[in-house]
Amino acid sequence: MNPAAEKWELRLYTAGQSPKSLAALSNLKRVCEEHLAGRYSIEVIDLLKNPRLAKDDQIVAIPTLVRKLPEPLRKLVGDLSDTERTLVGLQLKPRQ
Amino acid sequence: MQQTQSFEQELTLLRERLQEAEEMHRAISDGEVDAFVVGPGGNTRVLLLANAYQRYRQLVERMQQGAITATPQGQILFANQRFADMLGTPISQLYTAPLESYVGIGDRARLSSFLMLSTRDSHVEVELGRRDGTSIPVRFSIVSFADGYATVLVTDLRPMQWPSLAVDALDSIRNSLEKLNHLGSDAAARDALRDISEEINGLARMIDQMLDVEAIGRPRK
Repeated sequence: MNPAAEKWELRLYTAGQSPKSLAALSNLKRVCEEHLAGRYSIEVIDLLKNPRLAKDDQIVAIPTLVRKLPEPLRKLVGDLSDTERTLVGLQLKPRQ
Repeated sequence: MQQTQSFEQELTLLRERLQEAEEMHRAISDGEVDAFVVGPGGNTRVLLLANAYQRYRQLVERMQQGAITATPQGQILFANQRFADMLGTPISQLYTAPLESYVGIGDRARLSSFLMLSTRDSHVEVELGRRDGTSIPVRFSIVSFADGYATVLVTDLRPMQWPSLAVDALDSIRNSLEKLNHLGSDAAARDALRDISEEINGLARMIDQMLDVEAIGRPRK
């Protein structure tokens, strides 16, 4: 499959509107719009509302981003404020 | 050969898990997380770090409604400034105080069952006794009921009663003024004027009270 046409499914685990959760969502949207425009979806899961959902992806710290697709599954912990690290973590950019 | 493949797969898996653990360690060390998931399977909870509460706390502290958290026995664990203002009592005196001591005697049994048996969205209306000896009608509404503790919003009901009270008072003054035109003697007119004067004073007191309630909850200068 052409990597440029791949569908990206991202899941962001948040704790309500905690500052780091809001920052992570904002940073994630920015990165996605710049690098994956038109081919990504973000599912936000608020663990304050339903903590049991943390079990699905074995979430320990919040915020955590999970890349469901493309495989393999990848996890990024934190507010995604370091764009370089986020791009490398999502494998949108090769590790230096 | 098969054993080598198995080792390689295990090694790959362990590398990924190590990378995840290192990534989490880095994010925590860099202050990029503000909550953790804790507790075993059925009792999973989210633990927020202190600064994550700050925004909610500011909201609760500054909002125009009273807010309290109480034990099932009715002991106040938390109260916001607005609730303290409603009572006219320093907030420091409210912590661990029995909530029922601020409620009219006739309402205490209802308050007690409300705190113990409440379900989400339920509410009860009671008279709140102020420090100056007056009382105000309020509505207690349950916001959450978790771990045995009730978090309650307290709404001052007076502003809701004022429009109809003010209309009634104005109607009464208007009627009294009309009657004044048909009175036969000066003595009767004097009595009627005294009554009208009292009615106007009553309306003025009501307006004072409205302004007083409006003032409560404004940020202190």
